[in-house]
Amino acid sequence: MIGHERREGRGHRVGGAWKRGSSAVVAGVAALTLAGCLSSGSAGGGGGDSDEDGPITIGISLPLTGDFSEPGKGVQRGYEAWAAYVNENGGLLGREVELKILDDQSNADRVASDYEKLINQDGVDLVFGPFSTRLVVPAAQVAQDYGFLFVEPAGAAEEIFTQGFDNLFYAAPAVAQDHYDYLADYIEQMPEAERPKTAAYAAMDDPFAQGTAYGLKDRLEEMGVETVVDEVYPPNTTDFSSIANKIADSDADILVGGTQYQDAVNLIVAVRQLGYQPRMAAFSTAPTNPEFPEAIGAQTEGIISPTGYTPEASWETNAEFVEFYTEMHGTPPNEDEANAWTTGQVVAAAVEAVECADASPECQQSLIDWLRENEVQTVVGPLSWDEAGRPQGAHLIQQYVDGEIKIVLPEEAAEADFIAEKPAW
Amino acid sequence: MSGSLILQSVVLGVLLGGLYALLAAGLTLYFGVMRVVMIAHSAFLILAAYLAWYFTSQTGLDPLFSLIITVPLFFVAGVVMQRLLISRLRPATLTMMSVLLTFSIALVIEGMLGFIFSGTQRRIQLPYSGTSFEVFGANIAVVKLIAFVLAAASLLALYLIMKRTRFGQALRATIQHPEAARLVGVNTDRVAGYGFGLGLATAAVGGTALALDSTIYPSLHWHWIGPLMAIIVVGGLGSIPGAAIAAMVLGIGQALLQLPLGTTWAQTIFYVALFATLMLRPQGFFGGRLAQRF
Repeated sequence: MIGHERREGRGHRVGGAWKRGSSAVVAGVAALTLAGCLSSGSAGGGGGDSDEDGPITIGISLPLTGDFSEPGKGVQRGYEAWAAYVNENGGLLGREVELKILDDQSNADRVASDYEKLINQDGVDLVFGPFSTRLVVPAAQVAQDYGFLFVEPAGAAEEIFTQGFDNLFYAAPAVAQDHYDYLADYIEQMPEAERPKTAAYAAMDDPFAQGTAYGLKDRLEEMGVETVVDEVYPPNTTDFSSIANKIADSDADILVGGTQYQDAVNLIVAVRQLGYQPRMAAFSTAPTNPEFPEAIGAQTEGIISPTGYTPEASWETNAEFVEFYTEMHGTPPNEDEANAWTTGQVVAAAVEAVECADASPECQQSLIDWLRENEVQTVVGPLSWDEAGRPQGAHLIQQYVDGEIKIVLPEEAAEADFIAEKPAW
Repeated sequence: MSGSLILQSVVLGVLLGGLYALLAAGLTLYFGVMRVVMIAHSAFLILAAYLAWYFTSQTGLDPLFSLIITVPLFFVAGVVMQRLLISRLRPATLTMMSVLLTFSIALVIEGMLGFIFSGTQRRIQLPYSGTSFEVFGANIAVVKLIAFVLAAASLLALYLIMKRTRFGQALRATIQHPEAARLVGVNTDRVAGYGFGLGLATAAVGGTALALDSTIYPSLHWHWIGPLMAIIVVGGLGSIPGAAIAAMVLGIGQALLQLPLGTTWAQTIFYVALFATLMLRPQGFFGGRLAQRF
């Protein structure tokens, strides 16, 4: 009985599978026929011309609500400013640019279905990336599945570049490890006798903060700078006196902090209390914060920090960007807006170069291939990428000179001379 | 590891231990007087730190002057809080319910601070924030020394109040045996209120001392309450000298352990000591009957 039932059931299932298979074939044929009709229709009826003249639509999903809504809105402002600027200046390939922006509510599932929808239903010609690592990975996967070029404005974490994406490009100067490259280059070209001999590192237990400090550590160790202190502290640390004690005891020539904000402030005060005077002191993020000089007082002079973007940067297109953006929004752009604008510039450069902007795999692949091979001039400097999409640049190096934070490296972008011997703090 | 490094660590540990001692003294006082676990103690600490920062940013005067306002203010707030909120809890479940009540007070303070001053990290900018002087090769930062002196003076004042005044006698009587205290005519309700006020007043001093040498932000109090709770358990719940001694030992221990272990692992000393105490001597090293001898 049981065996019979089972056999019957299996037979039924086989039948069902065949039926589903057959209906799928029918549907597929129908779709092909329909597609054929559509494409022949557009090609035959002069539709090709209208497609050429119509706007280039760009699909984007952004976290406009939820956890990342603040930076998400910044990226939106940057994208919209870029589109307005392009359209005011004759468009892309002579065509208007039209943005189609969806809200993914900072949700990683939502962002994937958003890009599915943009590519499949809305038939966008190009896509731009969303904000933050968590959302970039699923979005890039969808773009990869459809063979789309995927340039993204935010997501510097190493995990993005180890997923095997071959369509992804990060539109910012550098990943965390490379932020200090210009400083490392500068130290490398100093005469051997003048270079720092010993270095102390203190980094927050955070992938980004550690990435910046350890990037410089690797470079300095290659040059033979001895690491005398290497401390990691949890993000909630407020008492830095013991770390400062070790640093002061080592009397390292250069102090490098993989810091966010309050940790840098507390660390600086703590080492000052112990009378430690480094010849160079570099901290990530904190010194570019407007609160920093208020907290540190007059002792900021000579403090070094890498920065991904500053409105003062002298890259050729930057002044135009800052002027256009400021006119549109009343305030100068910050890093989120700049990286969004950069994304636009990168894609536009590829589109202009290969003279196509449509969803066809050939066009998308030629855009990807072009970006692999070429360098693009952007508001954050010239950008080029490795095979995983890591930008090959470095962050500008800023330093407090005469009480104000100014770009000091590289020399071609500098607003002030680099202070190699930090004044006492 | 050089000798100067260790000497410096001991000095830093003593300075840190002094601050811990003051903060823990207040916390253990609440428990001693009324079996209240005061989770909001460190939230009041941060509130006092914010008031000191706000005072200095508005008037430009030294934050130490803010004590003239905050100490009486916190004393009154403590009395009001005890009379209006804590005393309404049922005695049978007082200890447990006081955790919930003071937890909510901590959240309210944190939320208000965030609402009024935003989550931005604040720091009082002092002309002497980085100044230090050298004693036997060890650097002593002026701000840390001020915090230590404040803590020592407050602990001494607390000791004198407890030992030399009638109110102190009544408070100790209330701690030792509330019923007997009532029988000899002590108004234990009022005394408990003042005791609570006294505890909060130490938070005002501690918060100001903290603000001298640290950046502050609304949720910082969660960082403090854990070690402070561990200190008062190790010292023996309700014992002020026990709390002070445990604070000093653990403060120095933390500073020294940071040399070989680093910051992340050194902070576990408080919890290792807590577990060890609960296993070996649950009443704490100065707890049980000893706690009542102050």
